[in-house]
Amino acid sequence: VAEKTDTPETILVVEDDVLVRMPIAQYLRDCGYKVIEAVNADEAMVVLSRQETPVHLVFSDIEMPGATDGFGLAKWIREHRPGLVVLLAGTVPRAVESAKELCEQGPVPKPYDAQVVHNHIRRLLAARKVARKP
Amino acid sequence: MFGATSRQKPDQERAIRSTVLVVEDEVLLRMVIADGLREAGYRVIEAANAEQALDALDHSFDVRLILTDVQMPGSLDGVGLARIVRSAFPTIKIVLTSGRFGEVNGAEHDAFFAKPFDPIEVVEHIATLID
Repeated sequence: VAEKTDTPETILVVEDDVLVRMPIAQYLRDCGYKVIEAVNADEAMVVLSRQETPVHLVFSDIEMPGATDGFGLAKWIREHRPGLVVLLAGTVPRAVESAKELCEQGPVPKPYDAQVVHNHIRRLLAARKVARKP
Repeated sequence: MFGATSRQKPDQERAIRSTVLVVEDEVLLRMVIADGLREAGYRVIEAANAEQALDALDHSFDVRLILTDVQMPGSLDGVGLARIVRSAFPTIKIVLTSGRFGEVNGAEHDAFFAKPFDPIEVVEHIATLID
């Protein structure tokens, strides 16, 4: 993703939790990437099977509901889209760190601090936890 | 407008119009609608089912319109979601989509689009509802 072109590269973000996916995807868009969102590995495979949709990098959670987790998706990609880069991030801090690294190489480097994204996700998850307490 | 290779300007480079929540379990259709709305300047939150949509609504402060499919997997379909949204978030506009018109009879909504629909037409109509 280091090459800078007028057409931003496309990242497929695979994350089942909307409260994590939303801020990460938005951050990558603000860094100038085109972002496609998938909520699980099945959706990711549908997108990747469609040749007319270019995807240059897959950014995936590891633990996801459904028959295929992030490792399974990476294996599927090795078989069906060899050469496509897959970033697996199993925790929110790791996901934010990976997003930050991508952003630093992206068309619009560092539109705002990745810590803002991390704090936003932490607040969202904490608010949900409180709301769901009996 | 909806081409996957068209330049996606970062949100910070353009004026953001409003936030639209797109609820659709078919990823390719959701992608096309979301792309079209983003190209038109909207911020878009994507959800694949009603539960994710409610999760997003509970934690997002500025959703102006929800575009939801009627038929979705899970315990709540688009009609049920629309009912909750109208009750809990009465200022949010609701646009329903479905392959079967009869399904939206009596459902809470501000607009309806039968599938297959033209995404450009949907985006243009959304502008008339919230801009």
